[in-house]
Amino acid sequence: MIGANTMLVLAGCALFGAVSGATGTFVLARRRALVSDVAGHAALPGIASGFLLGEVTGLGGRSPALLVLCATITALFAALCVAPLARLRRLGDDGATATMLAGSFGLGAALLSIVQSHASGAQGGLQTLLLGSAAAMRTSDVVVLTVLSLIVVATLTVLARGLAMVAFDEEHARVAGVPVRALDFALIVLLVACVVAGLQVAGVVLVVAFILTPAATARLFAGSLRVTALRAAMLGTATAVAGVLASRVLPTFPTGSAMTLAASLVFFTALVLHRKHKFAERVA
Amino acid sequence: MNAFLAVDLPALVALLLAIIACATVGNWLVLRRESLAADATAHAVLPGLVGGYLVTGTRSPWAMLAGALVAGLLTIVLARFVVRATRTGAATALGVVCTAFFALGVALLETQGARQVDLDPSCVLFGSLETLFVATRESESSLLAWVTALPRPIWTLTAAAMLAVLASVIFAKEFAIRAFDPSFARVSGAAPRWTDDTRVIATTLAIVAAFEAVGSVLVIALVACPALAAAPFARSVRGQMLLSIVIAMPIAIAAYLASAHAPMWLGTTNPLNAAGTVACALAAAVPLSHGVARICQRKFHAGNAFNRRPV
Repeated sequence: MIGANTMLVLAGCALFGAVSGATGTFVLARRRALVSDVAGHAALPGIASGFLLGEVTGLGGRSPALLVLCATITALFAALCVAPLARLRRLGDDGATATMLAGSFGLGAALLSIVQSHASGAQGGLQTLLLGSAAAMRTSDVVVLTVLSLIVVATLTVLARGLAMVAFDEEHARVAGVPVRALDFALIVLLVACVVAGLQVAGVVLVVAFILTPAATARLFAGSLRVTALRAAMLGTATAVAGVLASRVLPTFPTGSAMTLAASLVFFTALVLHRKHKFAERVA
Repeated sequence: MNAFLAVDLPALVALLLAIIACATVGNWLVLRRESLAADATAHAVLPGLVGGYLVTGTRSPWAMLAGALVAGLLTIVLARFVVRATRTGAATALGVVCTAFFALGVALLETQGARQVDLDPSCVLFGSLETLFVATRESESSLLAWVTALPRPIWTLTAAAMLAVLASVIFAKEFAIRAFDPSFARVSGAAPRWTDDTRVIATTLAIVAAFEAVGSVLVIALVACPALAAAPFARSVRGQMLLSIVIAMPIAIAAYLASAHAPMWLGTTNPLNAAGTVACALAAAVPLSHGVARICQRKFHAGNAFNRRPV
């Protein structure tokens, strides 16, 4: 009943759900929730400039390696800019995030208009990156996702203790000799890796949901950061699988939205149950 | 008819109105450290647009506007509920809620055959400043004919801008108390809750109207960037508001004209996306103005007006 192609999409989405859920837990704990939003939007100018660069150098606008490389560079640059910007007087975290978001999204829109006016700039391939196209996943994509998830999981396992210290008490971590800056940098690199990997799966806007929603759901229940990350990974996998299956049953239902909606549904259900539970505890 | 009058001027008028509407409400959002609410609202209105069409069955822009307004308000209400119910911050709550809404909108758009709504996701994201133009007959070249031929989104935006300014003038004290000292506002009763609800409604209206006229890229930039660029120079809330509009207008006009005409000087005929260029220029103004403020501060030494908190 489930064909080879569906298995491929299922495997890719499940892997991505797990990796982004685990990374998201640490991102949320560090209070960097919307850096993922910045990275997602900032991939847009990267994709456009990758296309233009490919055209200019004669590699062809669609070479995936070049597009991914440029998207990674711009996303990483924008994500790394948020923290120094936030240190400017009166700008704050939210102001810095909004500024980077607006700037990179605007630059992306302007560059994409050049791409679309290009003779060979048939928008098809680039348009899918806005909303993602999980159904068009190929074997090579799944291989890349597998390698990436192994790397991310290994890094998170090694750094978990340090990341937890920095997230919960930055001052103490600094005094205790934990390399705070290096760990923050590592976390942002992992986050950008997730976002760029997720462009194919979910597109620039919905990739944020994969990072935030499972992690926010897992945080509702008590547990250490490691346990929470594990739960978020499992939730991410489960909701991704549910979304893929739902979009198989209803063929017009886009996969990226189905997975996001599944994750949101689980989040709001858990939220209501959590409230009831807390209320019962208070009454008892 | 002159190309400037037909194409550029309506877009510039929409741009300036959007600046007035968005920068006014944006100042309150920035003071409340909620500059990202605009980003969330701009993404979350998508299911409202489609829902308005599906519920009424007509392609009337009013139905879609009403749907967008409902979706925008629901986003804020839900995000506040999430903040209260969990220990996560406002940023996480907004991110979770707005992606859920956006996914719902995309799903509705794809499954309900609402493709006839004339909604293209990329157009919703990038905006359509270029589609605002005035078409009058050659014979009618008076000012009145031009004004009556202005596209409808401009009139909606005018109403939203007037409402935003009016609310900000009438409730300036209440909004400021709410922004600077929420607990005092709650305990003293100086700024009752309905004043805050008024602010949220005016904000959502401004964002939705601007979103319709100029697109979400520009809305995100227009809400946050003018206020953030004015902040280092401001000594009062009123000053920050006026300054934010004064800073944003020339930047936006210059960026718009550059996007339309600069590519021709470089030898290509295709203009850049105007909304994107303006957004990019406004975002660049924020670190620039902070840099200028720092230089001024060093020159006229610390402890002067720049260090006072705005009230």
